[in-house]
Amino acid sequence: MYVSMFILKRIMAAIAIIAGLTLVLFILQAVSKTNPVHAMLGAGATQSAIHAEEVKLGLNKPLIIQYFRYLHGIITGNLGISYRTRRPVASDLATYLPATLELAFYSLILAIAIGTMLGVLSAGRFRGAGIIKGVLVGGASVPQFLLAIAGLLFLYGRFHLLPATGRIGVPNPPTGPTGFYTIDGILNGRLGVTLDAFKYLALPCLSVAIGPAVSIGRVLRGSLLETMNSDFIKTANSKGLSRSKVILLHGLRNSIGPALSMTGLQAGLMFAGVVVIEDVFAWPGIGYYTAQSIPSGDFPAIAGVTLILGVGYVLINTIVDIAQLIADPRLRRMEMGGRLKANSRIKTPTAVRL
Amino acid sequence: MSLAYGVARSDVKPIRKPGLFSRSRSEKAAIGVLGMVTLIALLAPVLAPTNPLLPVTQPFVHPFTSSHLLGTDSVGRDELSRILYGIRASWFSALAVIASGVVIGGLVGMMAGIRGGRVDSVLMRITDGFLAFPGPVLAIAVVASLGASLLHTLLAVAIVWWPFYARIVRGEARAIMSRPHIEAARTFGVKGLRLAYRHVMPGVIPAVVVTASLDIGNLIVTLSGLSFLGLGAPAPSPELGAMAARNLQYLLQQWWVCVFPAVAIMFLALVGNFAGDSLRNVFDSRS
Repeated sequence: MYVSMFILKRIMAAIAIIAGLTLVLFILQAVSKTNPVHAMLGAGATQSAIHAEEVKLGLNKPLIIQYFRYLHGIITGNLGISYRTRRPVASDLATYLPATLELAFYSLILAIAIGTMLGVLSAGRFRGAGIIKGVLVGGASVPQFLLAIAGLLFLYGRFHLLPATGRIGVPNPPTGPTGFYTIDGILNGRLGVTLDAFKYLALPCLSVAIGPAVSIGRVLRGSLLETMNSDFIKTANSKGLSRSKVILLHGLRNSIGPALSMTGLQAGLMFAGVVVIEDVFAWPGIGYYTAQSIPSGDFPAIAGVTLILGVGYVLINTIVDIAQLIADPRLRRMEMGGRLKANSRIKTPTAVRL
Repeated sequence: MSLAYGVARSDVKPIRKPGLFSRSRSEKAAIGVLGMVTLIALLAPVLAPTNPLLPVTQPFVHPFTSSHLLGTDSVGRDELSRILYGIRASWFSALAVIASGVVIGGLVGMMAGIRGGRVDSVLMRITDGFLAFPGPVLAIAVVASLGASLLHTLLAVAIVWWPFYARIVRGEARAIMSRPHIEAARTFGVKGLRLAYRHVMPGVIPAVVVTASLDIGNLIVTLSGLSFLGLGAPAPSPELGAMAARNLQYLLQQWWVCVFPAVAIMFLALVGNFAGDSLRNVFDSRS
């Protein structure tokens, strides 16, 4: 019962934050330099045409009414018309979203795999742990596009192992049902599509994943080192268990919490990270859409992307918070205990930005 | 009584702050590299061999040749000069955002931590609200609305950056507020700004210094990503992220115009992270 109260509270908070996000976007739209009417009609529009368009868009109404119109639009799936593509932003996003989701999904899996490996190996006092520790410190300094550039230069330019741009090379790729080429290929019985899609995914995924992997690895290393000092690890050691067994079976399970909340944060941030990478690899997702919209000052498109990414970010963090609470009874007691309440909210993921 | 008072007065020597040369080795190293990069950034106009905005010779001169160490770009501008100016822009941008974060976040955090109670919970609600936004994405929207310029980008990033510092300062301030020396100061009637400045702030500073220096690398990478997307100073000005982005089309033939700016960003971020890590070790070992 307490847990359901907490979940309810978290969901309310998430809704409040999303409402705040819409307010921020509305204000940005209102102060934006581009006048939506001029952008829609072009420079040669007559005064009466401008006035008619203003009435149609509700721009002659008070701001507060306009905000509620905007909210109503969002709820009914109307995000305005893109200045650049002249199509509804919502349908543009629907076209581009599957590609981004596929890229982010595989990048996240890769990041978790690499991050866990880095964390365990560097905390494990195995041979070469020093080098991995160096990777963890240095990895945070590498800008994503440098990884992308290096990958392009060597794996595409020098050795011709992987394709450079785009999402698939096979003609007539399947169009459904999931929008993930890797899965649709299997569902449609065309394994070639799946294999080809993975080839195209490899470089963008690696470029997106390394940064989050390093962050996850650092946090995991920290909490693992802390766990390895506890008594039950000494017990496990004195029972004569092998080093890897102690780490994997006893240490890792008790250190996974902070790494999990870091993973949640990184999953949210990944959507911001894909923008640059999609731009480099011309990956037809919403990041590419954003990068294309920036030079033309297409605010409705960018606001739409911000909203989608913001909602995704808030949802992921909410889910991770709830999942952590269910998984770790210690947090539950802290959260409900009242005494520690102000200070011990489950670490807001951003608090572990280090 | 009066005797005890006198003894105490003469026995207690004020704690000397460590001077520049009595600091530990890693602290010196951290301060050294930060100072060196700042110096490079400051002296960019002196160090740069040519004007970064004007073509000086034919395009795509190879790097490591006679007169142009890092080669020239697609219109024949000296790459080294452009990178030096780019380092200047990136470095000072990052420092400016961090300074604003420390000041705004510091004020909010100190107020919340010292006053506690309702002030604390209201301020921290607001902070948490900001933290719950995806910072970089919001920054893109802010710049798209205000128009692309370096100032707008910095403003946008500063808006999403301070809450992190507010949280840290508030946590430290709260911990300090429960220490005996605060109670002692209060008994003597110290309150308000004086309490904050003389009795709380000195304890908050180490955590802020470590966080801020670890943040430099973070911020340089974030800002360069925004610059890469075209959210920075407009076209001819030398910005590392934008240089890498605009020269991407030449990557396979003239790799240097694209790779060197990206490597320069990595170098700056490495310096920040290295300094931050050393400072953290210093403060960790002291406490």
